Amino acid sequence: MEFKLTEEQELIRKNMREFADKYVEPIAGEIDENSRHPAEVFKRLAEGDWMGIPIPVEYGGAGADYLIHILAVEELSRSCASTGFTVSIHVGIACMLVLLNGTEEQKQQYLLPMAKGDKLGAFVLTEPGAGTDVMAATTTAVLDGDAYVLNGTKTFTSNGPTGDTYMVFAWTDKAAGRKGMSCFIIPKGTAGMSAGTHFQKMGLRSSQTSEMVFKDCRVPKANLLGKEGAGLVMAMAGFDHGRVGIAAQSLGILQAALDESIRYAKERVQFGNPIARNQAISWMIADMATELSAARFLTYHASWLKDQQRVFSKEAAMAKLYASEAAMRHTIKAVQIHGGYGYCKGAKVERLMRDAKITEIYEGTSEAQRMVISGNVLR
Amino acid sequence: MPNIIACCKWVIDEAYIRKGPAGALDFSTVDYKISDYDRNAIEEAVCLKGLHGGSVTVLTAGAPEAAKGVKDALSRGAEQAFFAGDPSFNQLESSQTAAILGEIIRSRIPYDLVICGEGSSDQYAQQVGPRLAENLGIPCISYVQKLTIGEDGRILAERRVEEGVEVVEAPLPVLVTVLPEINTPRIPGVRDTLTASKKPVVAIKKEELPPVGAARLQTMGMTATRMERNCEKFAATPEEVARFVGALQKLGVIS
Ligand SMILES: Cc1cc2nc3c(=O)[nH]c(=O)nc-3n(C[C@H](O)[C@H](O)[C@H](O)COP(=O)(O)OP(=O)(O)OC[C@H]3O[C@@H](n4cnc5c(N)ncnc54)[C@H](O)[C@@H]3O)c2cc1C
Repeated sequence: MEFKLTEEQELIRKNMREFADKYVEPIAGEIDENSRHPAEVFKRLAEGDWMGIPIPVEYGGAGADYLIHILAVEELSRSCASTGFTVSIHVGIACMLVLLNGTEEQKQQYLLPMAKGDKLGAFVLTEPGAGTDVMAATTTAVLDGDAYVLNGTKTFTSNGPTGDTYMVFAWTDKAAGRKGMSCFIIPKGTAGMSAGTHFQKMGLRSSQTSEMVFKDCRVPKANLLGKEGAGLVMAMAGFDHGRVGIAAQSLGILQAALDESIRYAKERVQFGNPIARNQAISWMIADMATELSAARFLTYHASWLKDQQRVFSKEAAMAKLYASEAAMRHTIKAVQIHGGYGYCKGAKVERLMRDAKITEIYEGTSEAQRMVISGNVLR
Repeated sequence: MPNIIACCKWVIDEAYIRKGPAGALDFSTVDYKISDYDRNAIEEAVCLKGLHGGSVTVLTAGAPEAAKGVKDALSRGAEQAFFAGDPSFNQLESSQTAAILGEIIRSRIPYDLVICGEGSSDQYAQQVGPRLAENLGIPCISYVQKLTIGEDGRILAERRVEEGVEVVEAPLPVLVTVLPEINTPRIPGVRDTLTASKKPVVAIKKEELPPVGAARLQTMGMTATRMERNCEKFAATPEEVARFVGALQKLGVIS
């Protein structure tokens, strides 16, 4: 058993940390405050091949392991969870969906520019009436000659207002149940598809989230991804990949919370001593460091399984569940350690706590992860 | 088309050094990095290659673990590396390093220009560059903050000296030591790191080199700075300032 990253993995992780310290950390507060998508950062990410790490070189990626992508998301999220998430959903779900299910033409036309970072991907599944219960979706795709016609309203689409390439799920045969949903690749500018304005959120504020409305949106047959009716199976496989990314995002948030807590607890003096000298504080930090380590092992293990081409659904759900809940638990503690200063804008821990909450909700709530895990172990 | 050698040292990343219980430095969990100014040296070499063609070779001597640093250096745009790795090369002093690098360059690497960092992040002795130039018998231009190669193949360097900026010109071959102001080192992309492993590295064994002279320096000790809180407060009044000075004198901090 080896608990060690390779030299390349270590160097790449360090390079991403340097990138994040230099280009992301200084603006993270501002883009949170203004709900701004930092296009300038994504341009730089594209230049460094960070937008398609596990995608083969012939399709515009870096041709590296999934674990390297995970390390990159973790390090980015340590500075800004929104930026880390945008990379995660773009690579882990949008790019992976096309890589795993696309035809050669689709890979050349859509995956290549996404993996190079020239185009931003989005994953369009959730509807106002269909969150955890995906089967309650109502958006339909009806074949009409050489095109499918989509009608319906999706919501909570990350990269909705800023995306270029959308993976959209709709019923082609509702009566067929789990075998009746299909996935379509729809490029920005397609008539009949429009993005709403982005939602004002508690956290993850620089990631743009919106409704997506489809009104007689004609999508050529050639844009059907995978087989008709295979949409749900593909979405679930996409979630497996995406969830390891959300676990990595949670690791980044938690590492930042730990760093901030250690620094502040050593610096802040009350009753004549740094507050770290109080066991009440130092034990909070001990628990934080311990659970961060546990979450990290779960996450890297899930990613390692993926790289070994083994089944990793259960492990991805476990990593996401544990890492996200640990991030939430301990960012609350991090604010506690900072006292009143942690409750004010400008303290990084305040943003970390708001950002942590979303990791327990999207790409399957904690409850949904427990359903996946229990379904697996009770089989 | 100049052949450029960039020298670099794989050093402890000072951000990871911790303070042990008795004030001793704790190196047990440290990570390593390419010495800061050496990154500028490599960047400058690669930029000059971009402008004038030629080649960039990185050269390092150090412990076998420095192989990771060689990869790091190659990911920054050099096309090949020479690496003298040996456990006994871990704590080389400047004169020894210069002798090793000089021997390797003279016997193995054709060059027009050698670029070193002004000083290393760990010792900052600023000795290797000038000593290496002496060893090679070529001119040395230190404290360089701007470097250009003219049409005529002469080098033009801006040196930042105490009283201003000195501009010097020299024919190649020459050795320069650079300051961080000279450029902003790139952050390698993912593919740069992955392809670095495929670039040629010439490994040189200790036995292939003439014996390294004995060390002349001795490290007596190394301790961390200490911060103690005495919880004594002083106000900003003349009497209190006098009391403050008195307290410092009593502690022997000032005399
Ligand atoms: C910022 C943000 C970004 C998002 N990005 C995307 C995106 O890019 N693409 C996309 O398709 N979606 C996206 N989503 C949607 C997200 O995946 C859903 O919000 C999530 O799946 C939960 O759905 P819901 O909000 O409808 O909650 P609901 O499903 O209504 O759940 C409400 C509560 O009930 C619980 N619950 C529901 N069913 C059960 C059950 N059977 N047993 C026990 N508990 C249950 C849930 O766990 C939750 O606590 C995003 C959401 C947000 C907030």
